[in-house]
Amino acid sequence: MKRTIIPFGPQHPVLPEPLVLDLILEDERVVDAVPTIGYIHRGLEMMVERVEYTEMGFVAERICGICSFMHGMGYCVSLEAIMNVEVPERARWLRIIWAEISRVQSHLLWLGLGADAFGFENLFMHCWRMREEILDIFEKTTGGRIIHSVNRIGGVKRDVSDAELAAIVVKLEELGKAFEKTANVFGKDPSIRHRLSGVGVLSADDARAVDAVGPMARASGVVMDTRLSGTYGYDQVDFEPVTETAGDCLARVVVRMREVQQSIGLVRQAVEKMPKGEGMPLENKPRGNPVGETYTRLEQPRGEVLYYVKANGTKNLERFRARTPTFANIPAMIKLVRGCDLADVPNIILTIDPCISCTER
Amino acid sequence: MSFFSKSPWILHYDASSCNGCDIEVLACLTPLYDVERFGVVNTGNPKHADILLITGSVNERNIDIIENLYRQMPDPKVVVAVGACACSGGIFARAYNIQGGIDKVLPVDVYVPGCAARPESIIDGVIKGIGALEMKRKKSA
Amino acid sequence: MDREAFLARVGEYHKEGRRLALINVTTLVPAAAPAHGAKPEAAATEASVGETAAPDQFEITWVFENDKDATLEKIREQVGPADIIPSISEFFGAAFLYENEIHELFGLNVEGINLDLQGQLYKTATKVPFSHAAVKARLEALAAKTAAAAEAKATTEAKA
Ligand code: SF4
Repeated sequence: MKRTIIPFGPQHPVLPEPLVLDLILEDERVVDAVPTIGYIHRGLEMMVERVEYTEMGFVAERICGICSFMHGMGYCVSLEAIMNVEVPERARWLRIIWAEISRVQSHLLWLGLGADAFGFENLFMHCWRMREEILDIFEKTTGGRIIHSVNRIGGVKRDVSDAELAAIVVKLEELGKAFEKTANVFGKDPSIRHRLSGVGVLSADDARAVDAVGPMARASGVVMDTRLSGTYGYDQVDFEPVTETAGDCLARVVVRMREVQQSIGLVRQAVEKMPKGEGMPLENKPRGNPVGETYTRLEQPRGEVLYYVKANGTKNLERFRARTPTFANIPAMIKLVRGCDLADVPNIILTIDPCISCTER
Repeated sequence: MSFFSKSPWILHYDASSCNGCDIEVLACLTPLYDVERFGVVNTGNPKHADILLITGSVNERNIDIIENLYRQMPDPKVVVAVGACACSGGIFARAYNIQGGIDKVLPVDVYVPGCAARPESIIDGVIKGIGALEMKRKKSA
Repeated sequence: MDREAFLARVGEYHKEGRRLALINVTTLVPAAAPAHGAKPEAAATEASVGETAAPDQFEITWVFENDKDATLEKIREQVGPADIIPSISEFFGAAFLYENEIHELFGLNVEGINLDLQGQLYKTATKVPFSHAAVKARLEALAAKTAAAAEAKATTEAKA
């Protein structure tokens, strides 16, 4: 049979970001996909040569604007581990709260983009309208909508008053109720079901074999979530990872929808359990220069991220490496695209929730 | 400007941005900010577009793509650089794979500052871009 | 490095059901300036840090992770630029991205990748940006620039 090669990307209406797949087709069926990346490669890891470790956190935040809070947190947590700095309790809780709010933000963003990809523009608008409310919370508490810069090595920069935290919880719960309506459309609408269910199925064994992470793996029934290990304060909240078993595009949508509700619950728990009061310590300043190395794992909205930091006692780190969730999920994406129909390619690619600027740094 | 002789269409391309400016551009389209009230529509096709909205800076690989997209757009056309990265390279200006702002390859008409650029300033940039487009059209007429 | 033993160990991790978490390479560049403000006792406990590396060496670490108890297992090797590194993509299919990246950014030769992109993954402006030559060139340029800036500052201050 004659083979056709169709280039997908770099400028494609479905993906805001440039990713190139050369799709090799036999009729309508994709038989192979060869990825080419590098359109966003900046060489961020080299920045440690020029930027001192105290400031590198701001660069780390700009690995990706969607998970910028988590990237900043991961960098600071790594250096705290190297320099043996204890984070004050209230700061630790504040980090959990912000991290979970940014998960809600990211999932709403993605649900919108996903809806846009399968041609449901109305839903896209609804999801992004709700997301704006989350951004308002961020702007009020951190000062930035996208890039927050509230993480410091040894704590956080700003406090959020108890009254404001209570107001945030109320706002989030209202949002959760409103979101249920939207979630209903995602889960029940026959045209969406028709488009997504049974498409791009990744079995649990395959998910393990290609080392998928995050919602991608959880939608296939693999229980993995770095929050389970209880680090960075997650041992003090009740928490069950969300899993689905179908492993298709719809399951990946459902996992993320349920995680929105779960994260709202986690914020409520955190606000209830954190120590109350004004003027509590928020930051323990580190002293000297870091020496040593560490591996840090966090659960980002897209899955597990791993930071490797190596410091040699100078002001500049020797090596900073971030293995982001999409980097780990690209093999899974290639696996799914092989053998699917050309018309399903955009949906499959989007349900991975690709973040190309994370991948390439 | 009381009316626009035509509704300008926007082509958004993500050069090497961190996604920060990128999603703010998308946020402009959504109910809270809604640039579509100015008759602006986001399109995926360069041949339909009048305004090229670029986020992020020029790197080795996307330099050809940027030029290519620009060449495909019909005249008159306007380039709006959104964010510190697109204006000058921003925080990544010294990284080995970054060549600098968009003005390294294209004539930029409007620079929108900020890291990340706020939706309000992006909308302002688009409006200024529409103004520049009108001027170019008059000149060529 | 001992190829057979290495692959056997990787195979074992694979059988245990571990995931490949990271393959990291660090360019070992001997620090030009003495470690400023570093605590000597802290430096002594970290064996790999501070120890002067042989010229032009890379440190490569494979990290495997277990989902059940969240432990990390590491294999660490020091290699030179001419050494051949066996690919582990036959065990861990996801390794191809890391290995292509290593080849392109660090100039290391990885043998037997299941999807070899032939150095076309990132296509960076500086070829092999993390090679010793490239890193040293960048550091020297930076040092020269800082020195020039300091000199310029000193002359303006002397004039004032
Ligand atoms: S200007 Fe800032 S937010 Fe925008 S793309 Fe650049 S680093 Fe990201």
